[in-house]
Amino acid sequence: MTGLLRARRGAVVLFGLAALVPIVVRDAYFLDSLVLILLWGALSAAWNVAGGYAGQVSIGHASFFGIGAYSAALMVTRFGRGPWLGMLVGVVISIGAGFVIGFLSNRLKGPYFALSTIAFSQVLLIGVSRWRGFTAGAEGIPVPFRPGFATLGLSHVGWVYMALAAALVCYAVEVYLERSRVGYQLAGVREDEDAAEALGIPTRRLKVGAVTFSAALTSVCGSLWAQYIGFVDPTYVFSVDLSVRFALNTIIGGMGTALGPFLGSILITSLETYLRATFAGVKAGFTGIYLIVYGTALILVVRFVPEGLAGIATRLRMKRAHA
Amino acid sequence: MLGGIYALISIGLTLIFGIMRVVNFAHGEFLMLGMYLAFWAFFLFTADPYFVVLVAMPLFFVVGLVVYGLVMRGVIHASHNVQIFTTVGLSTVLQNIALVAWSGDFRYVRPWHLSTVLRAGSTIFNLTQVVASLIAITLTLALVAFMKWTHAGRVMRATAQDRDAATLMGIDTDRVYRLTFAIGIAAVGAAGVLVAPLYSVYPTAGLQFVLLSYVVVVLGGLGDMLGAMIGSLIVAAVEVAGSYVFGVAWKEIFYFLLFILVLVFRPAGLFGQRGAETLGV
Amino acid sequence: MSARAPILELDRVTKRFGGLTAVSSASFTVRAGEILGIIGPNGAGKTTLFNVISGYYRPESGRVLFAGQDVTGQPPHSICRLGLTRTFQLVKPFGNLSVIDNVMIGALTRLPTVSSARMEAERVVEMCGLAAHAGGHARTLPIGLRKRLEVARALATRPRLLLLDEVMAGLNPTELAGIIELIRRLHADGLTLIVIEHIMAAMMRLAQRIVVLHHGEVIAEGAPAAITQDRRVVDAYLGEEFVLAQA
Repeated sequence: MTGLLRARRGAVVLFGLAALVPIVVRDAYFLDSLVLILLWGALSAAWNVAGGYAGQVSIGHASFFGIGAYSAALMVTRFGRGPWLGMLVGVVISIGAGFVIGFLSNRLKGPYFALSTIAFSQVLLIGVSRWRGFTAGAEGIPVPFRPGFATLGLSHVGWVYMALAAALVCYAVEVYLERSRVGYQLAGVREDEDAAEALGIPTRRLKVGAVTFSAALTSVCGSLWAQYIGFVDPTYVFSVDLSVRFALNTIIGGMGTALGPFLGSILITSLETYLRATFAGVKAGFTGIYLIVYGTALILVVRFVPEGLAGIATRLRMKRAHA
Repeated sequence: MLGGIYALISIGLTLIFGIMRVVNFAHGEFLMLGMYLAFWAFFLFTADPYFVVLVAMPLFFVVGLVVYGLVMRGVIHASHNVQIFTTVGLSTVLQNIALVAWSGDFRYVRPWHLSTVLRAGSTIFNLTQVVASLIAITLTLALVAFMKWTHAGRVMRATAQDRDAATLMGIDTDRVYRLTFAIGIAAVGAAGVLVAPLYSVYPTAGLQFVLLSYVVVVLGGLGDMLGAMIGSLIVAAVEVAGSYVFGVAWKEIFYFLLFILVLVFRPAGLFGQRGAETLGV
Repeated sequence: MSARAPILELDRVTKRFGGLTAVSSASFTVRAGEILGIIGPNGAGKTTLFNVISGYYRPESGRVLFAGQDVTGQPPHSICRLGLTRTFQLVKPFGNLSVIDNVMIGALTRLPTVSSARMEAERVVEMCGLAAHAGGHARTLPIGLRKRLEVARALATRPRLLLLDEVMAGLNPTELAGIIELIRRLHADGLTLIVIEHIMAAMMRLAQRIVVLHHGEVIAEGAPAAITQDRRVVDAYLGEEFVLAQA
């Protein structure tokens, strides 16, 4: 265990800090940023399971996020039950959706697959927006705040630990994929599917499994997010921008690395919070500014720094070791 | 009727994919920029979109050249993932430049011919649709003719068929790609101008079209121009039938589902080589 | 299983792609413990045959029987688990993974834990002469070593029958000798092999029987000496110069 902890120094430091912060800092704004960093990190890590570890790059993960968000919100507002049950339902539905996407991943490669995931998320977006009777349509659903754990009505500090728990679960899944038998086989699938098949690896099954698992994790985070933010808007929770966001954090942080999504989230979420605060007074058009920055960052990183922040850190560490 | 416009949008996309082997996720955004061009030209100078089209084509051609040099050239030989994220990033950047510069308000282009109504049997068209389609079809045919009969067109088609062989024959593939991309963008920019009076203009207007044009392109077989034209007609017909049966609100779902169905059952298109999409284009 | 029982049987296998018949009613058997060679001009259908045998293609008609079991149309990974592994003509290393990891992934098909698979991988890497490069990334290897890696990785799956697709192409004389030596050793240890090759000198020394493919059909089958004298084979593939050189 100690060997594991030493090898994952970075993670121990980051998550340890996150755990300690609420004890010291009580500023609601700061804690809010921390919750968002952790949630976005968890979501990006969930995406990484399919995109980075299994090599199935989807630009439609918002599908699962939205399913999770709506399941939680509707369970509370329509059925009068708790959000945890909604989360469970969301996971089940997302697993179903994950099977569909997984099936597509076995039929389509690369850009074709990515396109189909976008189409899928848009189908959900339009469907949910138009289904007024059930989902309150395009108006969205405000999620009421009721204090208590069962209703996920937590304090800021409570949310930090909730988000941290989600982040740790997603991180643990990633680490597992780096060290386990399944993880190595998945790496083979990612590198060269035909070769992996020839070696006895059930590539289709593994791909579907990875996508489905990723979907479930994303859905859980979506449910949490709905309860935290308090409002579910279909044009946001199923949007392509959101799907890109999950991928963006991971790419900037280092695709296929366990800590990458969290590093990316720290950078991007902090940047966003900063930009939002700076331009708060200026007219609404400026909300697009950080997306322009992200888009450009994506183009540049993917071309010039494909290993992301985590990769740079590894390179520096190796340089120091050889110096 | 809209088939003609869909054809113009899709032909650029199929060219870019067929010759450069790149899926351009930002294609819809150039369409959106074309729509905004029409809007501002109309708003500021009361210029009719049909004339703006003449300006749009060379303008977007240049835009295509610039974007190619800045963004696309570096990733032509990169992995699929890099290409996907590069064009996705480009799409995000363009959408939000529009958002920041012109706000998210819906804009409208309302030239005089929009209210002129024509009848053909029991169906009603407005003059705008008719002329837009005609111009679109003309441009599309011109493009096909260009590809078929000019030297440049032949060179481009050769590169599409075998990149390495083309290089060995002394073809400067970089110039081919640059030309291809520029033509593709010019086509979709022009389509945007033509389409502007018929739809609302807003920063994310491109998305609905790009997915539609992918349906067309996939149906017709990626890289197949004739296929793209036939595909456009099919999609337009399906759309009309769909909105009859399901109502206008659901027609978008309809063609997304069509897209997924085509990708699953006939991914190489109605005319393409079976299995092409799994051979790792 | 007795030493000479058939480990692989092809029964009138036919594979078509649209209008093109790549393999036409191919039938032959491979006996356990032998090295079978497959030769033929380019486009004769050799790799297609491998693809059908290993499950990448489903034949239009005919059957593939591995150790008496009908495996026609089964997915490649199932066939591998039954004991048949193939390599690729254009090698497919897991480029971003280390050599040892490459082989380990093969070993994981038979072994349940990462640690046991790693030990097995080290053993196989040693046996295939890759020990000096074990830690490096597969994509940094030159072609000769990549071919060795391809074989090593396949070996880690503990096959009973190994299909080698032009593993000698592109090797210099030293590398060639090394690969031939490796194949000999594997054969001596009891492995059954089917080898597709164009390098006739090597084929003559290694193969105990040869099958000749031409336009998707088996036009000859037998001992190397007999094959080289078969008129049809000489016309289709070997050429007069080869016959004269052998004389």
